[in-house]
Amino acid sequence: MNKETAKNKSTLIYVLIYFILWIVLFEFILPVNNILPKPSIVWQSFSALWQDYNLPVNYLNTISSIYLSITAGYFIIHFISPIILNKKNFLTDFIHSLNWFSNFLPGIVIGMMIIFWFPESNYIEFIFVLFTSISSFIIFLQKEISNVPSEYTDAARSLGVSENKINKQVIWNSMQSDFYNHIIDLHLYIWPMIIAFEFIKGGYGLGNIFRLALMYKDLSALFSTFIITGLTIYLGIISIRFFRNKFAYRG
Amino acid sequence: MLTGDKLGYKLTLNIENITKHYAGPSGAKITVLDGISFKVENEGSNGSLVSIIASFSSGKSTLLKIISGLEKPDSGSIKLNDENITTPTGEIVYIPENPSSFPWMNVADNINFAMRNSGKFNSVKEIVNAVGLAGYEDHFPDDKSLGFRFRISIGRALAAGSKVILLDDPFRRMKSITKDEIYELLRKLINDFGVTFILSTPNITEAVYLSNKIFLMKKNPGKIIDEVKLDAETAAARGLDRQERFLSLRKEIESRFVSIGENLQTEVHF
Repeated sequence: MNKETAKNKSTLIYVLIYFILWIVLFEFILPVNNILPKPSIVWQSFSALWQDYNLPVNYLNTISSIYLSITAGYFIIHFISPIILNKKNFLTDFIHSLNWFSNFLPGIVIGMMIIFWFPESNYIEFIFVLFTSISSFIIFLQKEISNVPSEYTDAARSLGVSENKINKQVIWNSMQSDFYNHIIDLHLYIWPMIIAFEFIKGGYGLGNIFRLALMYKDLSALFSTFIITGLTIYLGIISIRFFRNKFAYRG
Repeated sequence: MLTGDKLGYKLTLNIENITKHYAGPSGAKITVLDGISFKVENEGSNGSLVSIIASFSSGKSTLLKIISGLEKPDSGSIKLNDENITTPTGEIVYIPENPSSFPWMNVADNINFAMRNSGKFNSVKEIVNAVGLAGYEDHFPDDKSLGFRFRISIGRALAAGSKVILLDDPFRRMKSITKDEIYELLRKLINDFGVTFILSTPNITEAVYLSNKIFLMKKNPGKIIDEVKLDAETAAARGLDRQERFLSLRKEIESRFVSIGENLQTEVHF
């Protein structure tokens, strides 16, 4: 058994222990409290979430905003990678200047400005995540260029092939494993940001369910949405790792 | 089968007065290469192997990178058949010391990466046959030996249509059995396909065994101090590695380096 599998196994055991503790404590010992809901009520609240909180539409809105825009960002970056990897240019200078601002302004603060400018737009959430993803990818690629082993680039240049081909087939491919790891980090950064974005904006999304559940003081709905969000993020990480292991060279 | 007549290149590679400086840690100018000049010539269809023997950190890699056009010299010029080489064109291919075949591509894709219509080889199949990788086209280099990865790098250089292949100390980390196989491969490429190699190595025995001509280079700064012209037929080709001429030449070169205060490797397993 390798280290990663052993670590996953021990984490799973802890999760199961917490789950059993929650059932024992809150189903039988503390059935009425304001800390965590009773497990049987949480189970029933899933159907209420479906009907009263319009879970399918809200859920699809959030995951499509996050995962579709990250995927779209990945393919856009792949397409324009020869330009980005081609040392410094106007586009990368522009993104770096925005990155400088983002050091002092958390993503959600920019999100609030966007909500103010486009309060009615249904697509602004998607565009917001897409822009965040692309900016993050560009900055990542620019930083990562220096870590590409020089033997690959020297050998490729020496063969007399074009810089575009080297960027697309050598530099891009050699950094794929780290790129996928970066997507996992980005995805973990985007999730809370987008929940907060939807919470503030209203309309659709899991953030909106959280807002309504808080407004109605519906602890079981709040907790059910919390479980759904956690499971989705977990599945998201597993999926990205799967793609990394399948498609990226891991040196 | 392809013959030397088909692939042999008549070539003259002129390295003239190459000088290169770097800025040291304190900002002071450090001379890495100081007026390096030598000539590599091939007549007819046979290739050759020319070695540059120098100790570690003597600027060998910098010199090879300059010859290939990857780096620019501060002064001097590189001329291949009277044409100035200022950028990499694929005619002079540099193979770095560390394995440079791309581990995310299989053998065929690695070779296809460099394939040109203008090259002497017309297909991946011809190249994998030439470098001894037939049947391994679908294999990835990642988990294979250094020799396997080296063969891919040579295959890519042939696909690019290179006239000269620069080998940057390729044998240092290879097992002795792998070295033997690669020596054999180089000999085959030189004789059957007319390929010309320039090998940089700190290993005197290796150079004497494989080369048609040897340049001795000192360090701090890197400068050619001597030239040893060997027979057209190398020691490796004649199987003379245990004979007197081979051993005395090795001793002679070693003494030459000792006289300038540099100790180089002589040991190699055959």
